[in-house]
Amino acid sequence: MMMIDPVILTLFLPLFGAIAAFVLPRAAAWVGLLAVLATGGAVAALVRDVLAAGEVVTQLGGWAPPLGIALRADGLSVAMLAMTAGVGLLVSIGALDSLRDLRERQYFWPLWLLLLTGMNGVYLGTDIFNLYVMIEVIALAAVGLTVLSGTKQAVRAGLEYMYASILGALLFLMGVGFVYLQTGRLDFAGLIAAEPSGAMSAALALMVVGLLLKTALFPLHFWLPAAHANATAPASALLSGLVVKAALYIFLRLTTYMPLPDEILVTLIGMLGAGAVLWGGVQALRAERLKLLVAWSTVVQIGLIFIAFARAGQVGLSESWKAAALLILAHGVAKSAMFLAAGRIKDEIGHDRIADLDKSDIRPTLAQFTFALAAISIIGLPPSLGFIGKWTLMEGAMAAGYWHWVAVTMIGTLMSVAYFSRVFAGFLRFDRMRGELAEHKGWALADAAPLTLAIAAISLGLMAAPILSFIELGYPFGAQ
Amino acid sequence: MTDAAILFDLLLAGSVIALAIASLTVRDMFAAIVLFVIFGLLSALAWVRLSAPDVALAEAAIGTGVTGALLLKTLHHLRYVTGKLGEGPARGLTPTAPVPAGVIWANAAFCGMITLGLALAFLGAPRSGPGFDALVAEAMPASGVDHPVTAVLLNFRAYDTLMEVVVLLAAVIAVWQIERGLSDAPAPALGEVWQGFARLTLPAIVVVGTYLLWKGSEAPGGAFQGGAVLAAVGLLLLLSRIYVPQPAHRGLARWAFVLGAGAFAGVALLVSGGGRVAFEYPAEHAYALILLIEGLVTISIAVTLAALFHGREPVAAPVPEGRNDT
Repeated sequence: MMMIDPVILTLFLPLFGAIAAFVLPRAAAWVGLLAVLATGGAVAALVRDVLAAGEVVTQLGGWAPPLGIALRADGLSVAMLAMTAGVGLLVSIGALDSLRDLRERQYFWPLWLLLLTGMNGVYLGTDIFNLYVMIEVIALAAVGLTVLSGTKQAVRAGLEYMYASILGALLFLMGVGFVYLQTGRLDFAGLIAAEPSGAMSAALALMVVGLLLKTALFPLHFWLPAAHANATAPASALLSGLVVKAALYIFLRLTTYMPLPDEILVTLIGMLGAGAVLWGGVQALRAERLKLLVAWSTVVQIGLIFIAFARAGQVGLSESWKAAALLILAHGVAKSAMFLAAGRIKDEIGHDRIADLDKSDIRPTLAQFTFALAAISIIGLPPSLGFIGKWTLMEGAMAAGYWHWVAVTMIGTLMSVAYFSRVFAGFLRFDRMRGELAEHKGWALADAAPLTLAIAAISLGLMAAPILSFIELGYPFGAQ
Repeated sequence: MTDAAILFDLLLAGSVIALAIASLTVRDMFAAIVLFVIFGLLSALAWVRLSAPDVALAEAAIGTGVTGALLLKTLHHLRYVTGKLGEGPARGLTPTAPVPAGVIWANAAFCGMITLGLALAFLGAPRSGPGFDALVAEAMPASGVDHPVTAVLLNFRAYDTLMEVVVLLAAVIAVWQIERGLSDAPAPALGEVWQGFARLTLPAIVVVGTYLLWKGSEAPGGAFQGGAVLAAVGLLLLLSRIYVPQPAHRGLARWAFVLGAGAFAGVALLVSGGGRVAFEYPAEHAYALILLIEGLVTISIAVTLAALFHGREPVAAPVPEGRNDT
C-alpha cells in the first residue's frame, strides 16, 4: 500500500471522482458520493496531521517556491476543508433523494466534484496565480450548478453570475500580473517581502475588488440573490454555504500577507459590510419568495463577516480574523441546512411564496423545524455557532471602543429576527387552512441531511473553544 | 532599422487600440466580430514584437481563431432563435428596455476606478521586473525539455496547467448540461468552394497542429496551441457536415474530454512515492512523460474546443421547437 500525502488526496480524489462521474453517467450518483466520502477521509487524515505538526507543507514537483507551487495546510485551511467536506457530504446525501430529473442527476455530480476540487485547491493554495486558476475552476462549475434546474430564470441568473464571476477573476488576475511585475514572485512569502508602494497598493486594490465581486459584498452583490434563489436546492446550498466562502478566504489570507495600507480602507470595508447588513435586511423583509429571502440573508451574512474583519481596526486585525472565520464556518453549516430545508418545503407544498405558506394542506413539519433551527444559528441565538461568531465580533468591537460596529450588528440581528418571523408566521398559522390537513408525506432521506446540518450548526457552538484553538494551529495569520 | 521598428510598433499599437474601440462601438454585430478577429490577429503580432511567441501563437489560435468561430456561431444561433436568420445584421437583439441612468453612472464610476487602479499599478511598476528568468535558467537542465515555457508549464508549475485543463473540462460539462430545449440552428448552406477548401486544408491543419505540439519541447508551441489548431479540423468537419455528432458517440466524446485531465493527474500521482512528491517526474523519464501528457492533453483540447463550438450534447430524441419556460 503506497502512502500518498493526504494534501494531494484532498485535491485529486474529487478530481478523479468528477472524471469518473462524468464518463459513467448512469452510476454518477454512487461514484460521486463515494468520491465525496473518500475526500472526507483525506481531510480527516489532514486534521490528524495538522493536530500533530501544526502545519503541513507540500512542494509540488519537488520545486520550491517561488518557481514551484507549494500547498500548505494549517488550522484555518483545514477547518475550511473540514467544513466543506462535512457540508458537502450532507448536501450530497440530500441530493441523492431530491434531484428527480435524470439530467440533473447526471450532471450534478461531475460539476459538484469539480467545484470541490477548486475549493480544496483554494484552501490549500499559497500562490496567487494558482489561486486565480482555482477560482476559475470554481466559477465554471458553480455557474453550471446555478443553471442545473434549466428554468429560464435560472439560466438568466446564471449568465449574470458568470459575467460577474469572470469580471472578478479578471480583476484579480490583473492584480496578480502587477504583483509579479513588481516583485517577480507569486507566492505568499514573496508578498510579505515586498516593499509597500503605491503601485503595490493599486495591484492589491484590483485583487481585492475582484474578490469582493466574487464574494458578493454590497454593493457588488447584485448577481447573488437571483442566482442563489433560482438554483435547484442542493446547488443553492452549495453556492450559498460554500462557494462564496472561497473568495472570502482568499481575501482574509491576502490581507494578511499584503496588509491594507491604511486604516481608512479597513473602515471602508466595514462600512460596505454595514451597507450589506442594512440593504440585505430590507430586501429580505420585502422578499416574496422563501428562497429569495434566504439568498438575501446570505448577502447580510457576508456583510457581517466583513464587519467582523473590520471590527477593531488595523491594530486588531490579527485577532479579528478569528471572529470572521467563526462566522464563515457558522454560516456555511447553517445556510446550507436552510437552503436544503427551503427546497424541501418548496418540493412538498409546490411553491415557496411566503404569503401562501400557511394556505397549503400539506405540512412539511420536519423541513420547517429544520429551517427554524438553522435560523437560530443565522440570527445568532445561543448556544449556536452563529452566536459565538457574533459574540466574538461584538466583544472585539467593544474592547476597541468601536461601538458603531456593535450597533450595526445589533440592528442586523433585529432585522433578521423580523424577516425570519415572516416565515415562522407562515409555518405556525395553519389554523387558517379550512378543511383537513394532510400531514407531510412521510420521512425522506432529503430531510435527514438538512436536519443533521442544522443540529450541527447549533451544537458546534458548544465546541467553540476547541474550534478556536484548532484554527490557530500553524499560525495562519503569522502571530506567533 | 530601429526607427523603422519603432514606427511599425507605434502603428501596430495605434491600430490595436483603434480596432478595440471600433469593435466596441460598431452597431452591426457581424462587423463587431470581424473587427474583434482582426484586433486579435494584430494583438498576436504585438506579442511577437514583445518577444513572446508562445503567447502570440495562443492568441492567434485560441483568442482569435476559436473565439471568433464561437462568436460567429453564437450570432448565427441568435439570429435563428429570434427569427432573423434570413435578414441582415441582427440589431434588435440588445434589450429593448433602456438601461437606467443610475446603472450607467454606477458602471462608469466602477470602470473609472478600475482604470485608475490599472494606471497607478502600471505607472509605478519597474521597467523590467525581476521575474523567474534566473530561477528557470538554473532549473532547466533538470526539466527534461529544452524550451523554458514548456518547462514552466509542464514541470515547474504543472499543477497550474493541470487545473487549466480542468477549467476547460468544467466548461464543456457546463455547456453540455445547459443546452437543452433550444432548437439547433441549421448550419449555413456552404457552397462547393467551401467543400473544396475543406478538403484541401484539412490535412495541412492536422500537420500544422501536430508539428506545434511536437515542437513544443524545444521551441514555441505545445499542447494549447496545437490543440487549438487541431480543433479547427473539428470545426471544418462540423461545418461541412462531413461529421454530424450522434447520440451514440457521446460516450466516446466524454472519454475524449477527460483524457487530458485524467492522464495528467494520473501521471502526477503515479510518479509520486519512493521519496518523490506528486508531479515530480523521475529525471530520466521526464521528457517522455511530458510528451505523453502534452499529446493526450492536445487531443482533449482539440475535441473539447470542437465540442464547445458544436455547443450542445447530441441527445437522442429531437427536442420540440421553442423554449422550455416552465
